[in-house]
Amino acid sequence: MNAIIETNMLSFRYGAQEAVRDLNLTVPQGSIFALLGPNGAGKTTTLKALMNIVEPTSGEAFVMGVPTTRLGPTEFQRIGYVSENQELPEWMTVGAFLDYCRALYPTWDAAFCSRLTEQFQLPLDRKLKQLSRGMKMKAALLSSLAYRPRLLVLDEPFSGLDPLARDEFISGMLALVDESDWTIVISSHDIEEVERLVDWVGFLEKGGLRLCEPVAKLLERFRRLEVVLATGAVRESPPRLPHPDWLDVSVQSHALRFVESQYQADETNRRVQEIYPDAKEIQSSPMSLREIFVALARCPQTSTLKK
Amino acid sequence: MLPFQIQFKPGQTVYGQVVYGAKKAIVSGLLRPADHFPSVRQLSQELKINPNTAHKVVSALINDGLLEVLPGVGTVVAKSPAPSRAARRELLSNDVERVVVEALKLELGLDDVTSAITQTWQRITKPKL
Repeated sequence: MNAIIETNMLSFRYGAQEAVRDLNLTVPQGSIFALLGPNGAGKTTTLKALMNIVEPTSGEAFVMGVPTTRLGPTEFQRIGYVSENQELPEWMTVGAFLDYCRALYPTWDAAFCSRLTEQFQLPLDRKLKQLSRGMKMKAALLSSLAYRPRLLVLDEPFSGLDPLARDEFISGMLALVDESDWTIVISSHDIEEVERLVDWVGFLEKGGLRLCEPVAKLLERFRRLEVVLATGAVRESPPRLPHPDWLDVSVQSHALRFVESQYQADETNRRVQEIYPDAKEIQSSPMSLREIFVALARCPQTSTLKK
Repeated sequence: MLPFQIQFKPGQTVYGQVVYGAKKAIVSGLLRPADHFPSVRQLSQELKINPNTAHKVVSALINDGLLEVLPGVGTVVAKSPAPSRAARRELLSNDVERVVVEALKLELGLDDVTSAITQTWQRITKPKL
C-alpha cells in the first residue's frame, strides 16, 4: 500500500486545549478516504495541519512524501483543498476568479474546466458574493478540480448544501477520476453523505483516532447480533459488558441484542454460548456504515482499535 | 442516464448491490447483447459510488462472461447464449434465503413454505376473469 498521507503521533493544541492527540493516520493512494467524527472531534484541525495551515504542536505528518511543514508551491500545485469556511475573493466574478486560478496552476485543464462549469451551471458573469452557498462551494470545488490535482482534500464539503447541490458536487468530484492518479480525503460529521463513496475510513473522537481501516473490513467485522435466551427475563439491565468487543448491549425479556465488533461466525457463536449457555438461537445481520458509527458513538472508548 | 436503476439498501455492500442490479438487467433482457455498458466513470458518477468499486463491478461482469470489451467500441453486453437457468436461479437466491430465515424464525417447516409459495404462485398467475 502506497500512502499519500501519513502522520506520526501528530498532535495540536490551541493553548491548553488539545484538539488532536497522537494521531497515526494513513491515507492510501487511490482511495476515497473519509475522516469522520462528531463536531469538535478534531477533523478540521487535522486537515489544516496536513495542508500546513497550522503547524503541529508535536509529531509529524507527510503529504506525498514531503513533511507538511515543508510543503510548497510545487506540492500545492498538485493538491486541491476546499473547506467549509473557505474565503473566496468575493468581489470577483466567477469567470475572473477562474482566470485568476488558472494562472497559478500549470496543469490547468481548460476543457475540463468548461465542462464542469456547464455541469455545475455556474454563471461566469456573476460576482462570487452574489452566489448562494451551494454555488460558492461549487465554484471553490471547480477551482480546485480544474488543474486535476493528485490529492483532493475536502473539509465538510456538504454542510449546508441542499441535496441537489450535494449530488452535483459529488458528481463533479468524481469527474476527477478520469485520471489514474488521484486520492480524495473528505471530512464529514454525517456518514450518510459519503457512505457509498468511501473505501477507507478514519474515525476521530475527542482528538484521538479510534479506527482507521478499509470500509470492507469494517463492514465485515461488525455485526448486529440477536440472541434468544431460553430462560431470559431475570437479567441485569443494562447488563455489565459481557465482552470487551461487544457494543451497545441490551437485554429485553428473552432477547439479547448487541453489536459484535470482531465478528467471525464460529468464534462469535462460541463466545455467546460461553457467556450465555442458555442461548437458544443466534442471529447476525450486517450493518451499514451509519449503524456502525452510531454504535461506536454510543459506546466511547472500547477496544475497537484492535484488529 | 444509466440503462438500469439501483435502489441502494443499507447493510449490503455497494459492490454486491451494483453487480446484482447489472446482472438482473442483463438476465431480464433490459440490457441486450451488444448494448453499451456504462463506463467506470459513468457508473461512478451516476450512482455516486467509489470509482474503485465501479471498476471492480465491471471486471467481475467481464469475468463472468456477461460483458465483453470490444476494441474501439468499449464495453458491451456479451453475445453469450441466453442466460442459463442456473444464472437466473442465482438471482433469486437472496430472496429465497430471506424467506427461509423468516420461516425458521417462525418455526415453520419446508412444507409450510412450499405450500405458501404454491398458493401465492397460483394466485398471481391465475388468469384474471
